Amino acid sequence: MWKLKDAKENKVLGVTVKPKNKIYWFEGVTEKGVKSLLTDENSKYRWLRSQRNRRVLVVLMAVGLIALAMGSYWPTLKTGSLILNSGAEIAIYSVTAIFVIFAVLGGYLLLRISVRGIGDAPNELLDERQIKVRDTSFRYAYYAMGYVVLGLLLLMLIGPDLQMFQPKGNDGSYLVVATLFAFSSMPSMALAWRERDI
Amino acid sequence: MLFLMSRNPEEPVYNRIEEARVALGLSRQDLADKAGVHYQTIGYLEREEYSPSLVLALRIAKSLNQEVSELFSQTPFKKGKS
Repeated sequence: MWKLKDAKENKVLGVTVKPKNKIYWFEGVTEKGVKSLLTDENSKYRWLRSQRNRRVLVVLMAVGLIALAMGSYWPTLKTGSLILNSGAEIAIYSVTAIFVIFAVLGGYLLLRISVRGIGDAPNELLDERQIKVRDTSFRYAYYAMGYVVLGLLLLMLIGPDLQMFQPKGNDGSYLVVATLFAFSSMPSMALAWRERDI
Repeated sequence: MLFLMSRNPEEPVYNRIEEARVALGLSRQDLADKAGVHYQTIGYLEREEYSPSLVLALRIAKSLNQEVSELFSQTPFKKGKS
Protein backbone atom coordinates (compact mmCIF):
# COMPACT_ATOMS: atom_id res chain seq x y z
CA MET A 1 0.00 0.00 0.00
CA TRP A 2 1.28 3.44 -0.92
CA LYS A 3 1.54 6.42 1.38
CA LEU A 4 0.83 10.04 0.64
CA LYS A 5 4.38 11.11 1.33
CA ASP A 6 5.60 8.81 -1.45
CA ALA A 7 3.88 11.03 -3.96
CA LYS A 8 5.79 14.11 -2.91
CA GLU A 9 9.27 15.16 -3.83
CA ASN A 10 12.14 13.43 -2.04
CA LYS A 11 15.59 14.79 -1.38
CA VAL A 12 18.39 12.33 -2.06
CA LEU A 13 21.91 13.55 -1.26
CA GLY A 14 20.67 17.13 -1.43
CA VAL A 15 19.21 16.69 -4.88
CA THR A 16 15.47 17.00 -5.29
CA VAL A 17 14.11 13.94 -7.05
CA LYS A 18 10.63 14.02 -8.46
CA PRO A 19 8.93 10.62 -8.26
CA LYS A 20 8.33 9.05 -11.62
CA ASN A 21 4.69 9.03 -12.65
CA LYS A 22 4.17 5.40 -13.57
CA ILE A 23 1.73 4.77 -16.37
CA TYR A 24 -0.40 1.64 -16.19
CA TRP A 25 -1.11 1.10 -19.86
CA PHE A 26 -3.30 -1.95 -19.39
CA GLU A 27 -5.59 -0.21 -16.90
CA GLY A 28 -5.38 3.16 -18.63
CA VAL A 29 -4.44 5.12 -15.51
CA THR A 30 -1.39 6.86 -14.07
CA GLU A 31 0.00 6.42 -10.58
CA LYS A 32 -0.25 10.15 -9.88
CA GLY A 33 -3.81 10.31 -11.18
CA VAL A 34 -5.06 7.47 -8.99
CA LYS A 35 -3.20 8.73 -5.90
CA SER A 36 -4.61 12.19 -6.42
CA LEU A 37 -8.15 10.79 -6.47
CA LEU A 38 -7.55 8.54 -3.46
CA THR A 39 -6.14 11.30 -1.27
CA ASP A 40 -8.85 13.95 -1.72
CA GLU A 41 -6.31 16.34 -3.28
CA ASN A 42 -9.01 17.42 -5.71
CA SER A 43 -11.60 18.64 -3.23
CA LYS A 44 -13.60 20.25 -6.05
CA TYR A 45 -14.92 16.78 -6.92
CA ARG A 46 -15.98 15.89 -3.37
CA TRP A 47 -19.64 16.65 -4.15
CA LEU A 48 -19.60 13.81 -6.65
CA ARG A 49 -18.81 11.21 -4.02
CA SER A 50 -22.10 11.06 -2.12
CA GLN A 51 -23.95 7.86 -2.93
CA ARG A 52 -26.98 9.81 -4.14
CA ASN A 53 -24.95 11.84 -6.63
CA ARG A 54 -23.06 8.77 -7.77
CA ARG A 55 -26.33 6.96 -8.41
CA VAL A 56 -27.70 9.94 -10.33
CA LEU A 57 -24.53 9.85 -12.44
CA VAL A 58 -24.99 6.11 -13.09
CA VAL A 59 -28.57 6.67 -14.26
CA LEU A 60 -27.52 9.59 -16.51
CA MET A 61 -24.70 7.47 -17.91
CA ALA A 62 -27.10 4.63 -18.67
CA VAL A 63 -29.46 7.06 -20.42
CA GLY A 64 -26.52 8.50 -22.38
CA LEU A 65 -25.37 5.05 -23.47
CA ILE A 66 -28.87 4.11 -24.63
CA ALA A 67 -29.19 7.44 -26.46
CA LEU A 68 -25.83 6.85 -28.13
CA ALA A 69 -26.80 3.34 -29.15
CA MET A 70 -30.09 4.61 -30.55
CA GLY A 71 -28.11 7.03 -32.69
CA SER A 72 -27.76 4.19 -35.13
CA TYR A 73 -31.53 3.90 -35.38
CA TRP A 74 -32.65 7.49 -35.09
CA PRO A 75 -32.86 8.33 -38.81
CA THR A 76 -35.08 5.31 -39.33
CA LEU A 77 -37.28 6.22 -36.39
CA LYS A 78 -37.51 9.87 -37.27
CA THR A 79 -38.14 9.86 -40.98
CA GLY A 80 -39.68 6.46 -41.46
CA SER A 81 -37.21 5.86 -44.25
CA LEU A 82 -33.60 4.86 -44.29
CA ILE A 83 -32.39 8.04 -45.89
CA LEU A 84 -31.96 11.41 -44.28
CA ASN A 85 -33.82 13.65 -46.65
CA SER A 86 -32.15 17.00 -46.40
CA GLY A 87 -28.88 18.63 -45.51
CA ALA A 88 -30.48 20.18 -42.44
CA GLU A 89 -31.58 16.79 -41.15
CA ILE A 90 -28.12 15.36 -41.66
CA ALA A 91 -26.60 18.35 -39.85
CA ILE A 92 -28.98 18.03 -36.88
CA TYR A 93 -28.34 14.30 -36.73
CA SER A 94 -24.55 14.72 -36.84
CA VAL A 95 -24.37 17.56 -34.30
CA THR A 96 -26.68 15.69 -31.90
CA ALA A 97 -24.60 12.54 -32.25
CA ILE A 98 -21.36 14.40 -31.53
CA PHE A 99 -22.98 16.11 -28.53
CA VAL A 100 -24.16 12.76 -27.12
CA ILE A 101 -20.71 11.19 -27.64
CA PHE A 102 -19.03 14.04 -25.74
CA ALA A 103 -21.70 13.91 -23.01
CA VAL A 104 -21.09 10.18 -22.57
CA LEU A 105 -17.32 10.74 -22.57
CA GLY A 106 -17.75 13.44 -19.90
CA GLY A 107 -19.99 11.14 -17.90
CA TYR A 108 -17.42 8.37 -18.16
CA LEU A 109 -14.66 10.64 -16.83
CA LEU A 110 -16.86 11.97 -14.00
CA LEU A 111 -17.81 8.42 -13.10
CA ARG A 112 -14.16 7.45 -12.75
CA ILE A 113 -13.56 10.48 -10.53
CA SER A 114 -16.65 9.74 -8.43
CA VAL A 115 -15.30 6.30 -7.49
CA ARG A 116 -11.74 7.59 -6.98
CA GLY A 117 -10.50 5.60 -9.95
CA ILE A 118 -10.82 2.40 -7.90
CA GLY A 119 -12.61 0.68 -10.75
CA ASP A 120 -9.54 0.99 -12.96
CA ALA A 121 -6.70 1.09 -10.45
CA PRO A 122 -4.05 -1.66 -10.26
CA ASN A 123 -3.63 -3.74 -7.10
CA GLU A 124 -0.45 -2.00 -5.96
CA LEU A 125 -2.26 1.33 -5.56
CA LEU A 126 -5.15 -0.05 -3.52
CA ASP A 127 -5.55 -1.59 -0.09
CA GLU A 128 -7.13 -4.99 0.50
CA ARG A 129 -10.68 -3.69 1.00
CA GLN A 130 -10.50 -1.54 -2.12
CA ILE A 131 -9.19 -4.50 -4.13
CA LYS A 132 -12.08 -6.62 -2.89
CA VAL A 133 -14.60 -3.89 -3.70
CA ARG A 134 -13.10 -3.40 -7.17
CA ASP A 135 -13.13 -7.12 -7.93
CA THR A 136 -16.75 -7.42 -6.80
CA SER A 137 -17.71 -4.52 -9.05
CA PHE A 138 -16.08 -6.32 -11.99
CA ARG A 139 -18.17 -9.41 -11.24
CA TYR A 140 -21.38 -7.35 -11.34
CA ALA A 141 -20.16 -5.52 -14.44
CA TYR A 142 -19.61 -8.88 -16.12
CA TYR A 143 -23.20 -9.92 -15.38
CA ALA A 144 -24.54 -6.57 -16.55
CA MET A 145 -22.55 -6.75 -19.78
CA GLY A 146 -23.96 -10.23 -20.28
CA TYR A 147 -27.44 -8.69 -20.37
CA VAL A 148 -26.23 -5.95 -22.74
CA VAL A 149 -24.76 -8.51 -25.13
CA LEU A 150 -27.94 -10.60 -24.85
CA GLY A 151 -29.95 -7.51 -25.76
CA LEU A 152 -27.72 -6.83 -28.76
CA LEU A 153 -28.04 -10.42 -29.95
CA LEU A 154 -31.84 -10.25 -29.64
CA LEU A 155 -31.80 -6.99 -31.58
CA MET A 156 -29.79 -8.68 -34.32
CA LEU A 157 -32.16 -11.65 -34.37
CA ILE A 158 -35.48 -9.81 -34.34
CA GLY A 159 -34.22 -6.59 -35.90
CA PRO A 160 -34.77 -7.55 -39.53
CA ASP A 161 -38.43 -8.33 -38.79
CA LEU A 162 -39.04 -4.93 -37.22
CA GLN A 163 -38.60 -2.11 -39.67
CA MET A 164 -37.85 0.44 -36.94
CA PHE A 165 -34.94 -1.58 -35.58
CA GLN A 166 -32.54 -1.62 -38.44
CA PRO A 167 -29.29 0.24 -37.98
CA LYS A 168 -29.25 1.68 -41.45
CA GLY A 169 -29.21 5.34 -40.46
CA ASN A 170 -25.50 4.84 -40.38
CA ASP A 171 -23.47 1.67 -40.41
CA GLY A 172 -24.24 0.88 -36.78
CA SER A 173 -21.06 2.54 -35.57
CA TYR A 174 -22.83 4.41 -32.74
CA LEU A 175 -24.01 1.07 -31.44
CA VAL A 176 -20.42 -0.14 -31.40
CA VAL A 177 -19.19 3.04 -29.69
CA ALA A 178 -21.93 2.77 -27.05
CA THR A 179 -21.03 -0.87 -26.41
CA LEU A 180 -17.35 0.01 -25.99
CA PHE A 181 -18.24 2.81 -23.56
CA ALA A 182 -20.48 0.38 -21.68
CA PHE A 183 -17.64 -2.14 -21.40
CA SER A 184 -15.27 0.55 -20.10
CA SER A 185 -17.62 2.19 -17.65
CA MET A 186 -19.60 -0.77 -16.28
CA PRO A 187 -17.20 -1.61 -13.39
CA SER A 188 -17.21 2.02 -12.23
CA MET A 189 -21.00 2.15 -12.63
CA ALA A 190 -21.37 -0.95 -10.44
CA LEU A 191 -18.97 0.51 -7.90
CA ALA A 192 -20.68 3.90 -7.90
CA TRP A 193 -24.08 2.32 -7.41
CA ARG A 194 -23.22 -0.20 -4.70
CA GLU A 195 -20.73 1.42 -2.37
CA ARG A 196 -21.90 3.59 0.51
CA ASP A 197 -18.58 5.41 1.05
CA ILE A 198 -15.96 5.83 -1.62
CA MET B 1 -31.75 -6.07 -10.78
CA LEU B 2 -28.24 -7.24 -10.08
CA PHE B 3 -27.12 -3.95 -8.58
CA LEU B 4 -29.89 -4.15 -6.03
CA MET B 5 -28.94 -7.62 -4.81
CA SER B 6 -28.02 -7.80 -1.16
CA ARG B 7 -24.43 -8.26 -0.12
CA ASN B 8 -23.15 -11.65 0.79
CA PRO B 9 -23.57 -11.79 4.57
CA GLU B 10 -20.24 -12.62 6.17
CA GLU B 11 -19.66 -13.86 9.66
CA PRO B 12 -19.19 -10.67 11.65
CA VAL B 13 -15.89 -9.83 13.30
CA TYR B 14 -16.24 -7.43 16.20
CA ASN B 15 -13.44 -5.06 17.09
CA ARG B 16 -12.35 -2.30 19.43
CA ILE B 17 -10.25 -0.39 16.92
CA GLU B 18 -11.99 2.94 17.47
CA GLU B 19 -11.68 2.68 21.24
CA ALA B 20 -7.97 1.84 21.05
CA ARG B 21 -7.30 4.50 18.41
CA VAL B 22 -9.02 7.25 20.40
CA ALA B 23 -7.17 6.18 23.54
CA LEU B 24 -3.91 6.77 21.70
CA GLY B 25 -5.11 10.10 20.35
CA LEU B 26 -4.83 8.99 16.74
CA SER B 27 -7.03 10.12 13.88
CA ARG B 28 -8.32 7.65 11.29
CA GLN B 29 -5.79 9.05 8.85
CA ASP B 30 -2.95 8.51 11.36
CA LEU B 31 -3.92 4.90 11.89
CA ALA B 32 -4.45 4.41 8.16
CA ASP B 33 -0.91 5.67 7.49
CA LYS B 34 0.52 3.36 10.13
CA ALA B 35 -1.39 0.33 8.89
CA GLY B 36 -0.87 1.16 5.22
CA VAL B 37 -4.51 1.39 4.18
CA HIS B 38 -6.90 4.08 3.02
CA TYR B 39 -8.54 6.09 5.81
CA GLN B 40 -11.98 4.97 4.71
CA THR B 41 -10.95 1.38 5.24
CA ILE B 42 -10.39 2.25 8.90
CA GLY B 43 -13.92 3.67 8.95
CA TYR B 44 -15.32 0.47 7.45
CA LEU B 45 -13.40 -1.58 10.03
CA GLU B 46 -14.59 0.55 12.95
CA ARG B 47 -18.19 0.25 11.81
CA GLU B 48 -17.62 -3.51 11.52
CA GLU B 49 -18.68 -3.42 7.89
CA TYR B 50 -15.48 -5.06 6.74
CA SER B 51 -13.53 -7.96 8.21
CA PRO B 52 -9.78 -7.55 7.76
CA SER B 53 -7.35 -10.18 6.57
CA LEU B 54 -5.08 -11.68 9.19
CA VAL B 55 -2.16 -9.61 7.90
CA LEU B 56 -4.11 -6.36 8.20
CA ALA B 57 -5.43 -7.32 11.64
CA LEU B 58 -1.83 -7.91 12.76
CA ARG B 59 -0.69 -4.60 11.29
CA ILE B 60 -3.52 -2.70 13.00
CA ALA B 61 -2.87 -4.43 16.31
CA LYS B 62 0.82 -3.53 16.07
CA SER B 63 -0.05 0.07 15.18
CA LEU B 64 -2.26 0.29 18.27
CA ASN B 65 0.20 -1.53 20.56
CA GLN B 66 -2.30 -4.30 21.23
CA GLU B 67 -2.63 -8.01 20.67
CA VAL B 68 -4.93 -9.16 17.90
CA SER B 69 -7.06 -11.06 20.43
CA GLU B 70 -7.54 -7.85 22.42
CA LEU B 71 -8.77 -5.97 19.35
CA PHE B 72 -10.80 -8.54 17.43
CA SER B 73 -13.41 -11.05 18.49
CA GLN B 74 -16.14 -13.19 16.97
CA THR B 75 -18.42 -12.22 19.85
CA PRO B 76 -19.40 -8.65 20.73
CA PHE B 77 -17.21 -6.83 23.24
CA LYS B 78 -18.76 -5.69 26.48
CA LYS B 79 -19.32 -1.93 26.49
CA GLY B 80 -16.77 0.09 28.42
CA LYS B 81 -14.49 -2.85 29.05
CA SER B 82 -10.87 -1.76 28.57
